[in-house]
Amino acid sequence: MAAAFGGLLSLPSWAQQWTPETVAGSPLLSALEESTLADLAETIIPETDIPGAKSLGVPAYIQKIVNDCMDTKAQETLKNGLYTVSDLAQKSSGGKTFSGMDTNQRLNFLNQLNAGADEETKDFFKLVKSLTIRGFTTSEYFQTNINHYQLVPGFYHGCVPVSTGK
Amino acid sequence: MTILESTAANQYDAIVVGSGISGGWAAKELTKHGLRTLVLERGRDVKHVTDYPTGMMSPWEFEHRTQLPLEIKEANPIVSKCYAFYEGSTHFFVKDAEHPYVQEKPFDWIRGYQVGGKSLLWARQTQRWSDFDFEGPARDGFAVDWPIRYADIAPWYSYVEKFAGISGNKDGLPNLPDGEFQKPHEMNCVEDYFQKQIASKYKDRNVIQGRCAHLTEPKDIHFQQGRAQCQHRTICERGCPFGGYFSSNASTIPWAAKTGKMTLRPHSVVHSIIYDEKKGKATGVRVIDANTKKMTEYYARIIFVNAAALNTNLVLLNSTSNRFPNGLGNDSGVLGKYVAFHNYRATISAEYDGFLDMKTEGRRPNSPYIPRFRNVHKQETNFLRGYAAGFNAGRGTYTNQDGIGADLKKNLMNPSWGGWHVGSHMMGETIPKENSTVQLDPNKKDPFGIPQLAINMFYDDNDEKMIKDFHEQFTEMYTAAGFKNIRTRDSKQAPGLDIHEMGGVRMGKDPKTSMLNKWNQLHACKNVFVTDGASMTSTSTQNPSLTYMALTARAVDYAVKEMKKQNL
Repeated sequence: MAAAFGGLLSLPSWAQQWTPETVAGSPLLSALEESTLADLAETIIPETDIPGAKSLGVPAYIQKIVNDCMDTKAQETLKNGLYTVSDLAQKSSGGKTFSGMDTNQRLNFLNQLNAGADEETKDFFKLVKSLTIRGFTTSEYFQTNINHYQLVPGFYHGCVPVSTGK
Repeated sequence: MTILESTAANQYDAIVVGSGISGGWAAKELTKHGLRTLVLERGRDVKHVTDYPTGMMSPWEFEHRTQLPLEIKEANPIVSKCYAFYEGSTHFFVKDAEHPYVQEKPFDWIRGYQVGGKSLLWARQTQRWSDFDFEGPARDGFAVDWPIRYADIAPWYSYVEKFAGISGNKDGLPNLPDGEFQKPHEMNCVEDYFQKQIASKYKDRNVIQGRCAHLTEPKDIHFQQGRAQCQHRTICERGCPFGGYFSSNASTIPWAAKTGKMTLRPHSVVHSIIYDEKKGKATGVRVIDANTKKMTEYYARIIFVNAAALNTNLVLLNSTSNRFPNGLGNDSGVLGKYVAFHNYRATISAEYDGFLDMKTEGRRPNSPYIPRFRNVHKQETNFLRGYAAGFNAGRGTYTNQDGIGADLKKNLMNPSWGGWHVGSHMMGETIPKENSTVQLDPNKKDPFGIPQLAINMFYDDNDEKMIKDFHEQFTEMYTAAGFKNIRTRDSKQAPGLDIHEMGGVRMGKDPKTSMLNKWNQLHACKNVFVTDGASMTSTSTQNPSLTYMALTARAVDYAVKEMKKQNL
């Protein structure tokens, strides 16, 4: 018994398949790319008096959807785009990373990026923006507080004045 | 596969093959009469409530917020086309690799292999058929004459409607007989407006509320089943923990179980029906255990085949003997022929700019319905038969998604109301043809060693003309109602996605041209009954499930009487 607890061999078989990638989040993105993605999403939908992209888990949602539900092309668009953003951010700000910029700098940077001529970068920005919006609007916070989603509505009213709110 | 194993312990009074909408009814009715009944289901058991893993989940609780992972889509190109297949419901659908079949022509076969079958997945519309449907083939000269008329089945419609629980209006239409209804779902402003517009402009066209298998006013009989009022969740395909709509799982199967007479055997793939030449009747079924692949025989005095239309054909085709070398009861040679389905290819959508001060609240698991109005009383077009249509109106919200940052967020938090949009889809009757067939592929086998089904169904010129007419007539009706931006569409989808495949073991008066008599009994093997979609002589323009239920209850009543008379 004692020997079995001591050695590596005692690890259950599923644990032997652990790799740094599977243990630490998405296999698609590096830590730097992850934090850039998180700050991009937060710039698109920032924290205000209500939660923003980061606190609603939107960056993790984006990674999950791109990784599991989208094709290799979208995965490359995301990965290459994050690299380009990191690279361009440092060039345009004299060495600062995108995450190192303040809110206004980030907004300006992204607006310039989107106004630029590079189609790949535009595709990347469109992808991240649409997924950020989707992640935000399908979150529990948005669905319950803004969309007033009810799992069990229990009724259907066919003709209700718009002026009654909701 | 190992040696056959057969003992007296495998003897029952009745065997039901399949536990879906019609199999569940067979089980309920047979056990009601005290018959020890074995119900065979090729899939796993699904117990009401406890086996609905996604039944109480909110959309954000799904790993991909209900979106299908690419891996599942790519591995399942067929079932992924089905509107109800998404992250919340994949566990109730047959995956493409699980039961291969041969598409001689494109056919998207959508199946649910579990206790309850597709009764967990259906769209729950329950319109009665009328004599315009049962008399159709005799009048129009296609298929063969139905051996029954509306009067034969009307009391059985009432019987199953009361137990299942059907909501709807009594509309008094000759082409869509009224039933035993609980209160109808509500129409919204635009649907109500369209109803009135059509009523004022056409004598023979009606917009009514759909009749559907939802409890809107549950009665004692429904509370006894443990069912409750429909909660308007509209996530029916995940299984309804309230039993708000009719499924075998919530209704007939537990009801049969309560009698103590039912033995439910999941993981039981029926290979074939055993025919005893000396006795001149069927004696049982051969079953392959889905887990062990071991074959066992079960015996009974009567057998109900309710495997769902195409699999019922497969089982009969695979039940060969010296007496029936071409499939059980197939003296006529029509087994597997004259299969048909419903044409759902055409849709039409538009916008309406009235009622902008009104909206809807809540959700509704139903929508209005426009019964067939073409060729009802007489032939008036250049195609046979006609189509019914769904109709619905709704109003969505619109959000400005420009820009980024706090402004974008503010816009997302403050959606504005868009206009009303309306839509219809056709449900056209396709004509059963001799060369529209299902057969056993001579070479390919499924994972159980059973021949694969080769499906050969297709649209014809009649269907194309009907699609054109639907688009024309609905454009006219939409225009008359003042709808704008009318858009017609033909999805060109393959047969199958309608999930209304029927026929192949059709009923008829003449054993030379049909498989079943007016009691859904094989002409040539009297103790075998087929009461699912396979038995349908023609397809009508109404949804078929309610008719399967009524035919099943009627056939069991007859079978039990015949057993008492020692005729079976």
